[in-house]
Amino acid sequence: MTALRDTPLAAFTELRLRLTWRRLLGRRGIGELVAKVIAYLLLLPIGLVAAVGIGAGAYHAARGVRGGGVQGDIQVTAMFLGIWQAWTAASLAMQEQESLDLRRYLVYPLRPGMLWLHGQVAGLLGDPLALFWCVLLGGGLVGAALGRFGSWLLPLALLFLLFALATVAWLALIQEAGARVLRRARLKSVLFALFYVASALVAVVVAGFGKSKPSVRDLLAVFEVVQWVGWPGAMAAGAGRRLFHGDLVAALPWMTALAASTAAAGWASFRLALSEARDGGGAGTSTKGQGLGAVLGRIWPGPGGALLEREVTFLSRHPLPLVLSIILPAVAGLIAWKLQPYIPADSGEVVRALPILGVALYVHLATQSFWLNGFGWERGGARLYFLAPVRLEAVLVAKNLSVAALALGIELVAVALMVLAGGWPPAWALAGTLALHLGAAPWFFALGNAVAILNPRVAPLTLQRSGTLPALSALAGMLIFSAVAALFALPVLLALKLDLGWLLPPAWTLLGLGGGLLWWRSLPLASRLLAARREELLAAVTGDEA
Amino acid sequence: MLAIETHGLTRYFDGKAAVQDLSLVVEEGAFYGFLGPNGAGKSTTMKLLTGLLAPSSGRSSVLGHDLSDPKAALAVRRMVGVVPDGLSLFERLTGLEQLRLHGQLYGLGRAEAARRAEELLVAMELTGDAGKLVGDYSHGMKKKLALAGALIHGPKLLFLDEPFEGIDAVAVSGIRRMLQQLVQGGQMTIFLTSHVLEVVERLVTHVGIIQRGQLVAQGTLESLRGAGTLEEVFIRTIGEDVKERRLSWLSEPGETGE
Repeated sequence: MTALRDTPLAAFTELRLRLTWRRLLGRRGIGELVAKVIAYLLLLPIGLVAAVGIGAGAYHAARGVRGGGVQGDIQVTAMFLGIWQAWTAASLAMQEQESLDLRRYLVYPLRPGMLWLHGQVAGLLGDPLALFWCVLLGGGLVGAALGRFGSWLLPLALLFLLFALATVAWLALIQEAGARVLRRARLKSVLFALFYVASALVAVVVAGFGKSKPSVRDLLAVFEVVQWVGWPGAMAAGAGRRLFHGDLVAALPWMTALAASTAAAGWASFRLALSEARDGGGAGTSTKGQGLGAVLGRIWPGPGGALLEREVTFLSRHPLPLVLSIILPAVAGLIAWKLQPYIPADSGEVVRALPILGVALYVHLATQSFWLNGFGWERGGARLYFLAPVRLEAVLVAKNLSVAALALGIELVAVALMVLAGGWPPAWALAGTLALHLGAAPWFFALGNAVAILNPRVAPLTLQRSGTLPALSALAGMLIFSAVAALFALPVLLALKLDLGWLLPPAWTLLGLGGGLLWWRSLPLASRLLAARREELLAAVTGDEA
Repeated sequence: MLAIETHGLTRYFDGKAAVQDLSLVVEEGAFYGFLGPNGAGKSTTMKLLTGLLAPSSGRSSVLGHDLSDPKAALAVRRMVGVVPDGLSLFERLTGLEQLRLHGQLYGLGRAEAARRAEELLVAMELTGDAGKLVGDYSHGMKKKLALAGALIHGPKLLFLDEPFEGIDAVAVSGIRRMLQQLVQGGQMTIFLTSHVLEVVERLVTHVGIIQRGQLVAQGTLESLRGAGTLEEVFIRTIGEDVKERRLSWLSEPGETGE
């Protein structure tokens, strides 16, 4: 026992625990600690409720699908798809302060692989949402057990475990590879364009082979074939469907492929992390040319344009906007293609339009780190706002406008893909998704500015290691998002009752105008708060905590 | 006219005074060296004078403007250049973008800011790295870039917090010459903190020494130094001596840390 306690790994574990403990009990850590406890307390019951829903789906799938059943297949696929995409999006946007920066510890005589694994496990244990996702998977297992008890539950439990590990490994790979590749501005732009153009071209060529006019559904069928390459959840879903059908032998190849891809993703992300750490974390970064930021800076002369140019340039160089620009529209398209057709035709036009309307708010949720922690990436640059003769209102306006432009861009691409995959929605739904998106934005920004000023925290300039939102801000974001969503849901209740979708665009426009007024009126208050809180803000983003 | 004047300037952190009852006088056109041991209050004083920190009590005026008046404070910012402790750089901008945007934020037009940025990059020998992200600059390069940023709008008063820390001797020499020319040409007043006493001694015309938040000496370099060196004056004024201590496991030949 003493020998174990004296190992360098034990000392390393103690060091990390002490650092975490001190951080949580420090001047700024108490809020985070409280937020974390609240997050656990909130997420556990919500997770249990959601687990009951997932369990019910698994129960029906287990009882009804032996020998086949489309409905059961959809439930199994939706379970894996839903958990995977929500887990991935939340982990990319939220904070994992317990995760580890390999660079700081390479100096010690410890095996880097062990350090990396340590970081992954600590990141998982310190993330309340990880517990949430595991509770959901537990619900699926219990539901399946109640539906059809038997030995098939053992491979199913193993599949859930593999799925969780695969999601974590895949996330690590996205973060490491994304950060590495996306550091080069031109390569980033090329990749971004290639993703959509090449996907569309391959689909057109393959699906259109032998046909004169391939339909959109034909094109999407191609994606179904290649989706296994794209996300590990598809392999889990493939294995899951077969297990629920009672066909263990058919599920085994999928489970083996899932395990192999998990190991490969884990190994690759570790090698990338190690290589990144040994490079010093940023060697060779270069950027050429002037992007959208410079164009905007020319349109709006003076300090205001300079501030806007800086914000847009920053967003265009941060990897998260690019990842979100790829993942969110892709998931939206997937939903329009896979799930929307199963909404019953007699459920009313408002219910059928909910996916395209939901995307309008979801984009704001995914980009929340930029409006809830707007100063988190400034480092020393934040001092300039207080040293240069600029109005602090202009600083906030530039930050909000740039994030609004990013969110609107993602929303437009997502809606376009949803139309492509699911067909044209009613005109009011298109107007509605835009009205909802634009109308909700000022509400989020007005409230988000206060959070960004009151609880700033230094955030990484890359995707990998540690996230972007402090726990307290994430909690505040949850409350703000719920409140604004509830406000904008009020007209939906009326529209549902009357089954009159046309009510929504004007109602949301009115609410948006109210939000715009609130945002505009809040700017002087926010700027005074920013001036008063400058010491705390600078200490958080430029001081020791940075 | 005085470039900087403070009366009873005090700042507490958690009840402990970092700067206490400070009364500074810096004449216009002076090259003022503000010296003190680690933790004496040099950087806090500079932050108070540049508006990054609010005073707990006391009054300060910069270039004739009272800093407690927000409008006057904004006017002061236009006339002041600052290289703060920890610098004020955006890591995700290139060196060229940083300087140009810095100039624009200080009210220069885009074209003029770009022209001055190019000229400053040449002067700081950073032309070859103009397209690199600031986050990837070495510490010395960042220091030079921050100094360039502080000069781009042609300030009347320059605050420099440890400008020579982490810069090689050749660069120090170049920057020293540039700063001397600026002061000698009557173009600006410079308020500088530094630990490198040899460099300070060759640069400054006036010296202030701070210890435990209080000003313990102030005057022209000649009047304070007399026949000795600045280092002797500094150690005599601070009055601290370093005791010799030995480490038990390194004091005997052949011993290790086991």
